[in-house]
Amino acid sequence: MHKILLILKREYLTRVRKKTFIISTILFPLLYLATIFGIGYVGERTKANLRVAVIDSSGYFDRGMLERSNQADSSARLVLVNMPVDELRKEYKKLGYDGLIVIPAQTNWENGFKELQFKSEKSYGTGSIAVLQNKLNTIWSEIKNEKLGIDENKKKILSTSVVSVSSGDLEGKATNEKIASTIGMVCGFLIYFILLIYGSQVMMGVMEEKTNRIAEVIVSSVKPFQLMLGKILGIGLVALTQFFIWIAFIFVLYNVTKASGSVDTSAMNNMLGGVQSVFTNINVPLILFCFVFYFLGGFFFYAALYAAIGSAANEDMREATSLSFPITMLVIFSIGIMTAASNDPSGPVAVWGSIIPISSPIVMMARIPFGVPGTVPWWQLILSMSMLVLGFIFTTWFAGRIYRTGILMYGKKPSWKELMKWALR
Amino acid sequence: MPLLELKNLKKYFATQKAVDDISFSIEKGNIFGLLGPNGAGKTTVIRMITGIFYPDEGEILFDGRPFDPLNDIGHIGYMPEERGLYKKMKIGEQAMYLAQLKGLGRIEANKKIRRWFQKFEMESWWNKKVEDLSKGMSQKLQFVTTVLHEPKLIILDEPFSGLDPVNSNLIKEEIYNLAQNGATVIFSTHRMEQVEEICSNIGLVNKGKKILDGTVKAVKQDFKENLFSVGVDNLPPDMGIAPFDLVTRRENTFVVRIKNGYRPNDVLHYLLQQGLEIHSFNELLPSLNDIFIKLVEGTPLTRQFQQTTA
Repeated sequence: MHKILLILKREYLTRVRKKTFIISTILFPLLYLATIFGIGYVGERTKANLRVAVIDSSGYFDRGMLERSNQADSSARLVLVNMPVDELRKEYKKLGYDGLIVIPAQTNWENGFKELQFKSEKSYGTGSIAVLQNKLNTIWSEIKNEKLGIDENKKKILSTSVVSVSSGDLEGKATNEKIASTIGMVCGFLIYFILLIYGSQVMMGVMEEKTNRIAEVIVSSVKPFQLMLGKILGIGLVALTQFFIWIAFIFVLYNVTKASGSVDTSAMNNMLGGVQSVFTNINVPLILFCFVFYFLGGFFFYAALYAAIGSAANEDMREATSLSFPITMLVIFSIGIMTAASNDPSGPVAVWGSIIPISSPIVMMARIPFGVPGTVPWWQLILSMSMLVLGFIFTTWFAGRIYRTGILMYGKKPSWKELMKWALR
Repeated sequence: MPLLELKNLKKYFATQKAVDDISFSIEKGNIFGLLGPNGAGKTTVIRMITGIFYPDEGEILFDGRPFDPLNDIGHIGYMPEERGLYKKMKIGEQAMYLAQLKGLGRIEANKKIRRWFQKFEMESWWNKKVEDLSKGMSQKLQFVTTVLHEPKLIILDEPFSGLDPVNSNLIKEEIYNLAQNGATVIFSTHRMEQVEEICSNIGLVNKGKKILDGTVKAVKQDFKENLFSVGVDNLPPDMGIAPFDLVTRRENTFVVRIKNGYRPNDVLHYLLQQGLEIHSFNELLPSLNDIFIKLVEGTPLTRQFQQTTA
């Protein structure tokens, strides 16, 4: 036990003292946010504002109507053009348009048209086309309203008749799927990243010991199993440290923004309001506890397997990658189940996915924010937790048997079949 | 009383008998040379003595009691052939870490490391990283970490590989010193001239079996071939009645083999009778290298299937 602590201490201190730890602790949240906002931003940017020449052979559209619509919504610019189709097809670029739309002559306002085609030399993304489609739909319904004699007043009455349904629990307290599924997804993805990043750190650490030829020196002082366990625990503690730094960071940020009234912009207030409603609707301590539990449990489950892979591989990084591929696939597979579980948190896929320890760390975290014991009954939570504990005890035992053989074995890359033989010998 | 006794040790791997019924007994304070060609099973024997492997059969007695890996490995220092250190770790911390894994307390470990570093003039290295060291330097560090905890049994696998003559001598002196102070040393190598120089006893293994053991002196006596070197100006052309046969000649030195039933004195007697001037007369004992090759020759040097890096 004393020796495991010594190993743990070394693994922990050498990692925490590294510059990369400090940098990654700061950079990861920034990158995480940047990715989320970046994808949205890039998506927004790549939507081109199309300028479209419209040839109206039906006679329903007029210049003023399009002009008004262009002023109200600048996302796509529609201009009525009086020109033969063939000529416009040749000339549209010179006239400064991105493409053209032809409204067929035999259009009837009561039947509408099935489909219009935006013709252009280039092809545009669905985002840009959708904007154009929305705009044409708005104009078309305006035309129909006019034909039907629906004025502003009637329009208002029509639009208020939309029914919205929200869900609530039996006491009438509002449940918020959207927030729950967002929190679940964020937790799930965090665990996913931690499993992959720290799992591969364990693997690299074991490989370092093997390729530096220090393994045999160490195992003449401690048992291979102690060495493996010390490494896994040490790296797990590093992950936990990083996580608590982030939590502390969030709480400090939250309190600072709340306390300093100077940043009292409406956006900030909205955000704070949102955060507060999250905190009142969701059982934060339970989620935090479960997060730490599943994050550690999942880490132990997979880290042992990654350690076994690291012990079996030689210097070559490609060997390690190909050997660890099945393990990595299991983690990625869990993310697939998580997405399904987040859409239907009580369905059979979600329930089984959150009980089987291979996927439970990620899937269960996506379900818990929906409510315990509502969506996730206590028995499922307890079963899932005990399965995970049994699971990582098993993988650690299993990996330990591969590890003690692999760590001293140089030469050819072993196959998975051979690894099984080492484990079951 | 022997410090280490191996009794009928066996260790079988899937495709081969790595160690097949090996017994040795090594006395306290001895420097024992464990010899054998590549893949003979030396490393497997050593791994069983260091508690890395459990023997399939047989018994190891350490200091008179059955070997208990958990407690006894604290009294063993092992420098494997495949050795290394954490590249990114500082040298002082590394030595501290390895010493503590051997069961030393912080203060004690620190004191001992400082003493050894002083002895080997390594004090200025404390805050350097291993990756900054040359191969010879890290070898010295490795040696220090092996013997730091004053083990009763020191096992060195090819300890001089990569060392220059000056550092080799330094380490050799330390090995002598440690043996003088009561430590027992097992020394595994292919370099026979080093064995002759350092070891008092040897054991030779091949294909998992012990084929020879004893003191270096006795082994050489056992394998002597009655060869003598004679320094004379020339031998008479007709040697029909000489009590020896000529084996080779290099200038004025002749190597002769005494015929069965004769003694060295008969040779001298004959030479004097011939009226020859004798400059020198020496018995030629076989070198360990000769014995090694003679015993191992004819068997394939490496086994066909290497299950482990035995």
